[in-house]
Amino acid sequence: MPRRRDEEEDMEDDDYEDQYDEEEEEDDRSSRKRRRSDFIDDAAEEDDDEEEDDDEDEDYGGGGGGGGKRPKPKKRGSQFFDLEAQVCMLLFPRKVSQNSEKTNFDGSHFLAFSYFLVLVKKVSLAVIDFIVDGGADIPDDDDGRRMHRRPLLSREDEQEDVEALERRIQARYARSSHTEYDEETTDVEQQALLPSVRDPKLWMVKCAIGREREAAVCLMQKCIDRGPEMQIRSAVALDHLKNYIYVEADKEAHVKEACKGLRNIYSQKVMLVPIREMTDVLSVESKAIDLSRDTWVRMKIGNYKGDLAKVVDVDNVRQRVTVKLIPRIDLQALANKLEGREVAKKKPFVPPPRFMNVDEARELHIRVERRRDQMTGDYFENIGGMLFKDGFLYKTVSMKSISTQNIKPTFDELEKFRSPGENGENDIASLSTLFANRKKGHFMKGDAVIVIKGDLKNLKGWVEKVDEENVHIRPEIKGLPKTLAVNQKELCKYFEPGNHVKVVSGTQEGATGMVVKVEQHVLIILSDTTKEHIRVFADDVVESSEVTTGITKIGDYELHDLVLLDSNSFGVIIRVESEAFQVLKGVPDRPEVALVKLREIKCKLEKKSNVQDKNKNTVSVKDVVRILEGSCKGKQGPVEHIFRGILFIYDRHHLEHAGFICAKATSCVVVGGSRANGGRNGDAYSRFDNLRTPPRIPQSPRRFPRGGPPVDYGGRHRGGRGRHDALIGATVKIRQGPDKGCKGRVLEVKGQSVRVELEARMKVVTGKSLVIWENFFDRSIISDNVEVSTPYRDAPRYGMGSETPMHPSRTPLHPYMTPMRDAGATPIHDGMRTPMRDRAWNPYTPMSPPRDNWEDGNPASWGTSPQYQPGSPPSRAYEAPTPGSGWANTPGGNYSEAGTPRDSSSGYANAPSPYLPSTPGGQPMTPNSASYLPGTPGGQPMTPGTGGLDVMSPAIGSDNEGPWLMPDILVKVHRPGEDSVGVIREVLPDGSYKVILGSSGNGETITSVANEIEIVPPRKNDKIKIMGGAQRGATGKLIGVDGTDGIVKVDDTLDVKILDMVILAKLAQP
Amino acid sequence: MGSAPAQIPTSFGHELRACLRCRLVKTYDQFRESGCENCTFFKMDEDNERVVDCTTPNFNGIISVMDPTRSWAARWLRISRFVPGCYTLAVSEALPEDLQNLCEDERVQYVPPKR
Repeated sequence: MPRRRDEEEDMEDDDYEDQYDEEEEEDDRSSRKRRRSDFIDDAAEEDDDEEEDDDEDEDYGGGGGGGGKRPKPKKRGSQFFDLEAQVCMLLFPRKVSQNSEKTNFDGSHFLAFSYFLVLVKKVSLAVIDFIVDGGADIPDDDDGRRMHRRPLLSREDEQEDVEALERRIQARYARSSHTEYDEETTDVEQQALLPSVRDPKLWMVKCAIGREREAAVCLMQKCIDRGPEMQIRSAVALDHLKNYIYVEADKEAHVKEACKGLRNIYSQKVMLVPIREMTDVLSVESKAIDLSRDTWVRMKIGNYKGDLAKVVDVDNVRQRVTVKLIPRIDLQALANKLEGREVAKKKPFVPPPRFMNVDEARELHIRVERRRDQMTGDYFENIGGMLFKDGFLYKTVSMKSISTQNIKPTFDELEKFRSPGENGENDIASLSTLFANRKKGHFMKGDAVIVIKGDLKNLKGWVEKVDEENVHIRPEIKGLPKTLAVNQKELCKYFEPGNHVKVVSGTQEGATGMVVKVEQHVLIILSDTTKEHIRVFADDVVESSEVTTGITKIGDYELHDLVLLDSNSFGVIIRVESEAFQVLKGVPDRPEVALVKLREIKCKLEKKSNVQDKNKNTVSVKDVVRILEGSCKGKQGPVEHIFRGILFIYDRHHLEHAGFICAKATSCVVVGGSRANGGRNGDAYSRFDNLRTPPRIPQSPRRFPRGGPPVDYGGRHRGGRGRHDALIGATVKIRQGPDKGCKGRVLEVKGQSVRVELEARMKVVTGKSLVIWENFFDRSIISDNVEVSTPYRDAPRYGMGSETPMHPSRTPLHPYMTPMRDAGATPIHDGMRTPMRDRAWNPYTPMSPPRDNWEDGNPASWGTSPQYQPGSPPSRAYEAPTPGSGWANTPGGNYSEAGTPRDSSSGYANAPSPYLPSTPGGQPMTPNSASYLPGTPGGQPMTPGTGGLDVMSPAIGSDNEGPWLMPDILVKVHRPGEDSVGVIREVLPDGSYKVILGSSGNGETITSVANEIEIVPPRKNDKIKIMGGAQRGATGKLIGVDGTDGIVKVDDTLDVKILDMVILAKLAQP
Repeated sequence: MGSAPAQIPTSFGHELRACLRCRLVKTYDQFRESGCENCTFFKMDEDNERVVDCTTPNFNGIISVMDPTRSWAARWLRISRFVPGCYTLAVSEALPEDLQNLCEDERVQYVPPKR
């Protein structure tokens, strides 16, 4: 009966123990020692307990708490055999390790015990017998245990000699406990401790945040207070896991029971940790803090967060370190504070790091005390409790507020940190802390190195072999051993001027160049790419014959790309660093270089556009230009990018900014360009300007009161020719036909046909004729290559009608025709155009040529395509101002097709004003009206609602500007002596406007002519009125501005339209 | 709970220190007054300077071991033979050499923390 035996065992064991104790006393051990060994015994008992419980849990439960001592003797006996049974170790590492661990712990004890055992052989044998029996009898032993014993058993059966046992035991214990321990701490041994299903489980329990430790300790306290009724085994609070603790117990109920009544623990939900994750819970990396002087650290919190600091002193007891920082102190604020003046509570910004200047501080009447530090004997300047030395702030902070892991100071930071007084030697010393971050394989055979520390300092040599820590070098100087082993931390790579190197780490990573100067550990390299000097650590480079441009691309952006930085700044990437770009900004006056991060770049600008140079020659990308003004005057090179009238010119002789020069288009000339066009083509800018301040008097020839059409015709012709030249190279948009919508550059103009190189399709198309719509904006000239039909119509009108109207009407004409065909599309166009025209007289001139083209085209078109005819008749109609009949009579007969407009037109002719509003298009401002204009030069027809359109009223002179203005829009009125804001109330038939001054329309009412009026450009979110295009007259909201386009939400339809900003006017708020 | 438990920390903040040998966690004052229950031979209670040498505030995580012998966690952490009490999962410093020698003299194991 096992139990019985156990008890007997127990008794015997106690006997041994007593004897052992006596023996110990005989050995004259101190009572303290004895107590300790007692304790150890206790521990051993506990272990036994555990074993027993693990193995016979149920038994334990049944046997009650008193069974603690019961299994001990058996265990003790078995331990001896465990020692012998080395074989078992491999098979059952876990059991063995547990046991041997115990054995180790009690090493001395067992040693003594074994002697004793040998002395009383008989007894011990009896014990062994006992155990053998017991072991064999225990039915519910686990397999491991049984296996354990079997070999022992058999050995015993073989009557193993007790002396042999003694020898073995002695041999075992002769070894130091340390070595044994080492054996045990191998990973394999630890593996033996992996949890099994028999082990208690870990449960995850929620607790109050920040109270994890407290919760674990409270559980401990509770267990002590309550005693054995608490069934949990342990509680774990991890530093890195907030809000949870782990509790080790066999059953969830035990956990809940233990947590009951503890207010920091919320045990409603208890989660079981899967067995294979249990070890993860307990494996924490011991944070190896080895802070020592000269270690680089970073601040974790406060104003200095992220700043590099150097440790100058470590107080391990108080857990504080003294670090050296570059101060971020706002002296003015400090002065205010010290003088007790009111200090703004919230810190508006963190002052930039700057060395403390004591004199500056004194100037602000800040008290600076110079004191000697008791400990170090150094002098510090004490300012308001802060200590400064050599401009650095010396700050003592908690170790927790600095981070010490993976600190890699950048080159710049270290450079900054080098105080003026410090010489290079100290630098190298502190640099050595950097070497800790070296990667494996830092030194390679053949590298030239220099010793920077120790007796061999400054010895140069070559790497022969690299061990773990040591580098074997072949010294340069003769008379030394062939190779020397030097700790790699005492070595630094060495280069000489003339070496060609490649940077392998740091911000300049990837760059190559030639070493031009060596300053201690810093190399100055002439970069292959930028031809600039770069400073790098010698440690960061390797010798290399490779010539690279370094990295030239981050994300989508590549070196020499034109990028948009924000809505009004852009530039060319002139250098790509590891994390940032250097961008030469598009500021013409002086070179401005900005360092931008990837995320600061909005987009790449790939749009090809053309501008005009000083002589109004078209400049496009790749054209060679010469700079006439500014600091780069005289330089020349191909244009790489054009944006908003700014040219980026690449001059390979220009050594700065990667050869890029930024210049205004207007301060350059195209090399080889002619001046012939001078004055003809207003370039985008001048046009733009014109928009702002419209010259009052239109100068264009067309303005001439309509003379006989033929005359005009001729005039136009002349203009047209001039125009052709100008048109070449212009960017046009095709308005009709298969290539409708495509943009391209005009290659050739021949009569009415142009050859256009399409941007998108990479092909050249020939249009039979064209109509040019000029755009005043920087998006450059857009001319539309139109299928023959439409333009002609217009042209005739122009020709026939008075020239003056043409300007205004030019656009309208288009629409006029267009509406019939496709009402939607074109009108917008003309809308855009009209305003410009109106506003800017000058632009006018350049614009006229297109007209000429049309005219050129007209006759032809007439002849060729019947469609034109509908157009032509109107012109006649003009001459013989019975439009209706004119229409009707026109030979083309087409006019019937274009029936609607005609109706209107005829109606219009007859009773002009009323009709206009009702024009078929439904758009009051429909081109139709405009087209009529030629006849009724007022142009006002377009402004519907004005009602009093007098077709005949010869408002011609001024009307060109006016017609597009509409009531209710906010305008600026320029009058002699004053400019004021007003609201257009009414458009008078004579082309002048009734304007009520005051932004809300409550001031004086004046009448003013168009040239005195300028619309107030709307801003984002303003209510606007559309003054041109199909939507003319509609109101909306400007929801965004994209360059020259405004994004408008139309009130009525809620459509979102993209319209030219020029046709948008700010609506007066009622 | 077989043996008498160690003192339980009276606070949970910066005052806590862990014995570098057995990883028992107590407050500085507790160590000073009654030493370490597992490592009495350090005699921290007799020589208060020892407390600083033998203990560290740099430790990671706390485990309260109620029942060291039957706790898997305690076994895994190799603290199952120590008295019940609050221990830490890991300390980051090694015992000073002279104290390591003391351990050797006392025939107790000392395991330096793994790096």
